[in-house]
Amino acid sequence: MSALRRPWLAYLLLGLAAVGIYFLLPWDTPGQAALYDGIGASSALAVVAGTLLNRPAHRLPWLFFAAGLLAFSIGDSIFNLYGYVWDKTPPIPSFADAFYLAAYPVIAAGLALLILRFGALERRAGLIDAALFTVAFALAQWVFLMKDLVHGEGSVAAKAVEAAYPGMDVVLLSGLAVFWLCPAWRTVAYRYLAASLVLLLVADEVYGTSPDTYANAGWLDTGWLLSYVLWGVAALHPSMTALTRRTPSMQPRLTWSRTALLAGALLTAPAVLLVQHITGGGIESIAIVVCGTMLSILVMARMAGLFQALDRLRGQERSARSEVESAHRLLQQQNEQLRAADQLKDEFVALISHDLRTPLTSIMGYLELTMDDTELTDEQRGYLEVVERNSQRLFHLVNDLLFVARLEAGQLDLEPADLDLAAIVRQFVEEVRPRARAKGIELRCNAADVATVSADKGRVFQLLDNLVSNAIKFTPEGGKIHVCVTRRSESVRIEITDTGIGIALEEQGQLFQRFFRATTARDEQIPGTGLGLYIARAIVEAHGGEIAVESKPGEWTTFRIELPLATTSARTAELVS
Amino acid sequence: MTVQPGLILVADDDPDIVALVSAVLRRAGFDVVEASDGAEALELLRTRRPQLAVLDISMPKLDGLEVLRLMRAEPESSGLPVVLLSARAQEADVRDGYAQGASKYVRKPFSPRELVAVVRELLAF
Repeated sequence: MSALRRPWLAYLLLGLAAVGIYFLLPWDTPGQAALYDGIGASSALAVVAGTLLNRPAHRLPWLFFAAGLLAFSIGDSIFNLYGYVWDKTPPIPSFADAFYLAAYPVIAAGLALLILRFGALERRAGLIDAALFTVAFALAQWVFLMKDLVHGEGSVAAKAVEAAYPGMDVVLLSGLAVFWLCPAWRTVAYRYLAASLVLLLVADEVYGTSPDTYANAGWLDTGWLLSYVLWGVAALHPSMTALTRRTPSMQPRLTWSRTALLAGALLTAPAVLLVQHITGGGIESIAIVVCGTMLSILVMARMAGLFQALDRLRGQERSARSEVESAHRLLQQQNEQLRAADQLKDEFVALISHDLRTPLTSIMGYLELTMDDTELTDEQRGYLEVVERNSQRLFHLVNDLLFVARLEAGQLDLEPADLDLAAIVRQFVEEVRPRARAKGIELRCNAADVATVSADKGRVFQLLDNLVSNAIKFTPEGGKIHVCVTRRSESVRIEITDTGIGIALEEQGQLFQRFFRATTARDEQIPGTGLGLYIARAIVEAHGGEIAVESKPGEWTTFRIELPLATTSARTAELVS
Repeated sequence: MTVQPGLILVADDDPDIVALVSAVLRRAGFDVVEASDGAEALELLRTRRPQLAVLDISMPKLDGLEVLRLMRAEPESSGLPVVLLSARAQEADVRDGYAQGASKYVRKPFSPRELVAVVRELLAF
């Protein structure tokens, strides 16, 4: 059943059956001869059918094959007509020869058309290798087959026709060699086609070297008949479309079989010379010299191609390497520039911070002196308070910038000591209470006694100041701030919760980045640099802790800090006491 | 020449700051001699024998730390209270100052009131 759905398989099975029947039929009968002709004609039909069925991109090569096979088949029929109808030995040359000899070039043209579809690269190497093989074969063919036919008895026409057959075999073989030596495709259809060509050539060659074989045994017919069948199968197989489709180029690989084949081709000339010398029948020096020269030229062409390919590869490698090198150099330069720029920035920030302190000293110092004056009017005092507040802001900014510069230069030195965090938080809250009260914010503190943590007191103050100052800044009048210290199993937790404007969820992840300012803060035009939380995180992380934020925009915000407990020894000491 | 009680040397290359410090100290009842660089400060220390010195660190000719080192090397001024006043605000700078023998390190910007408190505290001993 599956054979019906696969025409190539059906034709293969039918063809093999027909070939089998051919050998079962009585020998030398018109019926047997008719079956032979039928098989030949069917192959031409199968190729046409396959071409129509499979719709290859290029039909012409296959139509050439069909025409060639048809010509072969007509030759067969004429040959059989002489034997069984006209009852006489066909003359040499006969009409049959005309069709036979016409078939070879037509089939060769079909092969050439297929080969033209190869990529240039594979065609070049494959063609040269095939030419090497063909020249060697042609030399052997001439010396051992054609020479005697040409120099033999008979009319010029008869000799020409007889010598044409081995000549045509050379043409077909060249096509087969290109097929085999070009690594374009290895499809099922290719295998059937190649097998068909090999069978045709072998049968031709055996017939050519000893025509008596055919007279004694009909087994050579197997080669020709199977060749017909397989050609039809190749055309019917769906993979035949790939034979006319251009494939990505690839260089032929140097396999053992290829090497052996080429070595054999190169050794043909000396071998022929040796055989002729030993058998002593006169040496075909002209043919050997011509073929030897051609082989040498082909080898040189092949080598030139290889050297060119090698040079091309080297060139590509060189340019690729120089590209990599220049990219690397560029990267190094950029790195160097970045490093220099980074250093310059750090120096700049440190310098600015230092140089801003000096004028600030005068501003803030004289301001304090002026405000000590009891004779100021309330209005004047109000103005001076504005100046003072802004001087303080500037002072904080300078400190933050300097801190960040040092942080990024890796110069954040901690001076850790075992601290009673609860006491520090309570002390800090008392210090900021006036600021909260001034804004009408209720500031509560829950700091029960907790275990000691190992921390830098100044930095912890800075951290609390950043967070609580933020809380005061972003909480409207009448709001609440709650600072809470609790003991966890491995850490101490500080939570600072306010009822301020809050931070949008999508911005919470960026909040601790340098210079990041939340949209709410910018919309409300609350002043700030975007450095406070960046610094807070740096301080917490330098202590091996973690900081996180949780917020509901418009309602509340909580900053949660976890600082690890002091080392075990310190903790044990505390527990013992 | 003996130490002049109530006389304070103020050295800073910024005249505004010298004037500020002098003003608050005078208001607090001290006498003041002023210097605008390290060499001048050293000269005044020898000639006027103040009871305390307020030194800026970044000064031309001799910087504050150098003046302090030279002072500490001389027996006459080795025990003199010295307040370093500097815009160098890093922990390392403060440590350096104390290592050179400063009695007190005050970072700029400073509160004049606090400076007076520091000076009073140092002279009480």
